Amino acid sequence: MSATARGSAPLVEPVGSETRGFGQAQSAAMGELALRIEQRAGKSVASHQYHRGALRVLRPHYLDESGQVCYVLVNPGGAYLGADLYVINVEVGDGAKLLLTTQSATKIYRTPGSFAEQRMTVRLGEGAQLELAPDQVIAYREASYRQNAHITVRPSSSLVMAEVVTPGWSPDGASFRYEELRLRTEIHVAGTPGTDLLALDNLLIRPPCSDVTGMGFMEGYSHLGSLVVVDARVDQALADELHALTAGHDAYTGVSLTVSVGGTVGLVLRSLSNSTEELATLLGDCTALLRKRWYGQARLNLRKY
Amino acid sequence: MAPGAISGGYQLALQQLTDSALPTGAFAHSLGFETYIERGLVHDEESFGVWLSAFIGQQLTYSDGLAIRFLYEGGPVEELDSLLTAQLLPRQLREASIKMGTRLLEIGSEVFPSPELVAYRELVTAGRAAGHQPLAFAVVARSLGVPLPEALAAYLFAAVTSLTQNAVRAIPLGQNAGQRLLRKASDGVAAAVGHVSHLSPDDFGAVSPGLEISQMRHERQRARMFMS
Repeated sequence: MSATARGSAPLVEPVGSETRGFGQAQSAAMGELALRIEQRAGKSVASHQYHRGALRVLRPHYLDESGQVCYVLVNPGGAYLGADLYVINVEVGDGAKLLLTTQSATKIYRTPGSFAEQRMTVRLGEGAQLELAPDQVIAYREASYRQNAHITVRPSSSLVMAEVVTPGWSPDGASFRYEELRLRTEIHVAGTPGTDLLALDNLLIRPPCSDVTGMGFMEGYSHLGSLVVVDARVDQALADELHALTAGHDAYTGVSLTVSVGGTVGLVLRSLSNSTEELATLLGDCTALLRKRWYGQARLNLRKY
Repeated sequence: MAPGAISGGYQLALQQLTDSALPTGAFAHSLGFETYIERGLVHDEESFGVWLSAFIGQQLTYSDGLAIRFLYEGGPVEELDSLLTAQLLPRQLREASIKMGTRLLEIGSEVFPSPELVAYRELVTAGRAAGHQPLAFAVVARSLGVPLPEALAAYLFAAVTSLTQNAVRAIPLGQNAGQRLLRKASDGVAAAVGHVSHLSPDDFGAVSPGLEISQMRHERQRARMFMS
């Protein structure tokens, strides 16, 4: 979205917009987390960290010698409930490297007449690297959940985010018994002079409104995986390579390039399958290729399972 | 109104604008259904009808239809153009929208000129907009005084007609089957017009993963009749 074009029309407003700085999150939030990572002497460290309520991070660790710091997001409450709002602000400074993951799946329980919401604002500096690797989202019966991510990168930043959405869970064993899932991600590129929209990835699944399982929606599959990569090194050859990599998996996958903005470009991979493990392996294969090629890092192994 | 007069004054213009003979190149785009044909999932009248119904309820509602509504409500065309470019994640679909939109801008400038259309074309020429089909259509229809529900219904049905004609050639289906599909799809179009009016800005671009994956996979399909 052009920074200069602000109209009066009811357009899509960036959620968790950049005007909300550190520690200014809505006080009504159930949980808040702010994290700023900077590069110091070849190592990425937190220069600011704030948490309140039902969100916190575990002590940071380093999985390899790359200097990339790993933070694990924890929701001590264990699940999201109706009207819960979680606000996350992450800033990765120039040249800094962050891996952000979760301790366990994001579980959304019944939210009668309301919805649980997570708003995440992310800013990447010049040459900053962010890998977002959360566990899967599980919405239980009668759950509504909205996840909004507003990400701003620089043309030299590197962003890799992978996500898995499950069909949920209900006591009778049936799938897709939740009310609504919304996962919306906006990615902007901050350059000169303004900030431009690179990609808008919007997923909306409302099982009570129509059959979401068949042709033209979930295509008979139950789980959805997605990978979004933004990096100046993304090109058609890489998209083709990742597509070839997914061929060996029991999943239905597509890969495409976004438009190019300010010298950087994005890649979106979507994959339908019947298990979290299958998708986690598929997405893991893709990120392993990127980690090795771009950063000389080994495949991500969080040893959580 | 005199007996025999044509109501609204825009009827014939709207017919010309939505005629499948309008040379925007719609005959060259399956917008993803060719992938379903290749997989054997779309192979007859009934199975194409299932795909078409999903396409109307998803792509045409959450992307094209909502973009048209936002423009009618005064949304700046430059901002809406950028939203469409960002939201159309499958590359061939984005390119199809821009290709057909660019043609519509050219044709519209010659036969239905308006200051709004000139302004949109100038944004495209200056590289500040891509020139998307639903927006080019909406700018012209709005300048002709076509009310939003009529403009939406006409645009959606024109899209459905092109796709059905393409399916008749590609599957192939009989001409009568094509007409039956169109008649059935008109219910879906009417429902979509109502649905578009109830959606919120946050809903924009919420197209189902299945359609998107199939549109993405078309890039790598070996034998194909269509550009998307």
